[in-house]
Formats: sequence, structure tokens, C-alpha cells
Amino acid sequence: METAPKNNEQSNQAPVERLAYSIQEAADLLGVNYFSVYRLIQRGKLKPCRALRGKLLVPRTELLKLLGTN
Amino acid sequence: MSNQFDNRRPTELEDKAHAEVVRHFAEHLRQYPASRQAIDRLERDLAQIALVANMAASKPGLQKDFIETDDGRQWHKDVELMENIFLCHRPMARGAEYAVVEHFPARRANEILQRGWTAGDLLRDFVQDQRQVLQVWTADVNAQVKEFLAEKFPGLDMTRVVDSFMHRLTRPVAQQQSRSQGQNRSRGVRV
Repeated sequence: METAPKNNEQSNQAPVERLAYSIQEAADLLGVNYFSVYRLIQRGKLKPCRALRGKLLVPRTELLKLLGTN
Repeated sequence: MSNQFDNRRPTELEDKAHAEVVRHFAEHLRQYPASRQAIDRLERDLAQIALVANMAASKPGLQKDFIETDDGRQWHKDVELMENIFLCHRPMARGAEYAVVEHFPARRANEILQRGWTAGDLLRDFVQDQRQVLQVWTADVNAQVKEFLAEKFPGLDMTRVVDSFMHRLTRPVAQQQSRSQGQNRSRGVRV
């Protein structure tokens, strides 16, 4: 799973893990198309959060839960 | 862009913004119409697909393709409805039970989306559910486009660009095809 880019000051620290992903990123990570991700959301299998303008974001914990690796 | 902007010519900035949105959300423009077309096709061929499943269920000796769902049950794969989604059945004492099963490659799992005793009713429910999923999809893209434009063109009213893009995303596939055919035809015209 992706991590946030590091800058020079952070280079000797552990990489910061992303907290949430867009639908597009979630689809890529799960290896499915966008429709499947929206279907998972509609069925309550992935519980998204909403960004300021209502855009859906999938929390990392939800993806891990779905993949059974949490 | 013709009538996409309420028949009023888009400003230069709106044109630029629209082009950027189309570029940024190209994958949605590719996937959404294809998904909707798949649902339309499913709805159109529903009776035929149900018949195929019924016939498969009535000939238990002929099935070879099995699928095991997350609950450990085995199903006969009858028809691929969409990418990674199958109409299946399994013989039961009271007759065949049908299910719509989705395969998740990343989890190597098969999950039952819907199940029922009548293939036709099951498919109808499935189609209805998928139309609701499309609504979730369009609402999210609408929000994403607004956010994208607000970041790229802060403080400017980009309502017409959003509307135009959403129109392009959700217009029926037949319209998109006839439009592109029209564009292809007009390329050969010399004035």
C-alpha cells in the first residue's frame, strides 16, 4: 500500500502511511474497476468518509479490513 | 462544445477548464458509460439470460464450471453478467437456487451479491441495485470535479463546466456513438 512521499527532513523517519484513498486509488489497490468499488460502498462493505466537498474517500483501515489483513 | 453550455458559447477559460477536467477524469469517462451499457444490456436481455440459467439448472449432468463462495457453498457458474460477476445456481431439494456472485481477484474470494429462487426476479433486483450504484458514482464524480475545479480555478464560477462534464459522462451511449460518428463524417467535408 502506498505511503506519503518523504522529504529530506523525514528521510530517516519511518514513512508516513496514507490515511485514506480516492475511489480511483482504492480501485487500483484492490485490482478492480471503479464500479466494483462503488458497489462495495453501496453494499456497506467499504465505509467511506467524505471530504469537504462531498468527495468519497476510502480509509486505509477499511481497505485492510476488506482484504482481511487488519 | 456546442450546446453543452446551455447554448451560450463557453468562455476561453471555461473551454480550458473543461479540457482539463476531461483529461483528469478520462478514466471515469471510459468506465462509466461501459458500466451503464452493461446494465442496459443486462436489462434488455434479462429474460434470455434467465432462460439460459433455468436450462442449465434443469440439466444437472452438464455443468463443469463451479465457483465456491465465501460461505463455503458450491455454485454452478451459468452466465457472466459483467466483469467478474456471474449468475450461478445450485440444486436444492425444492428446486434450483440462484445467486449473483462477484469474484474479487485481490482477495481470491467469491461473494454472493444476491440470491433467490427465480432467476428472472433475481436479475431484475440486481439491475435495480446496479442503477443505484451508478447514482453513487455520479454523485461522487460531481463532487470530485467541483473540488478539482475549485483548486485549479479558485474563486471562479465553474458551474457550467461541471454541468457540461456531467452531461458528457452520463449521456446515453447511443448518443455518444452517433456524435462521434457525426464527427467522423464531418471530417471528410470540404468547404
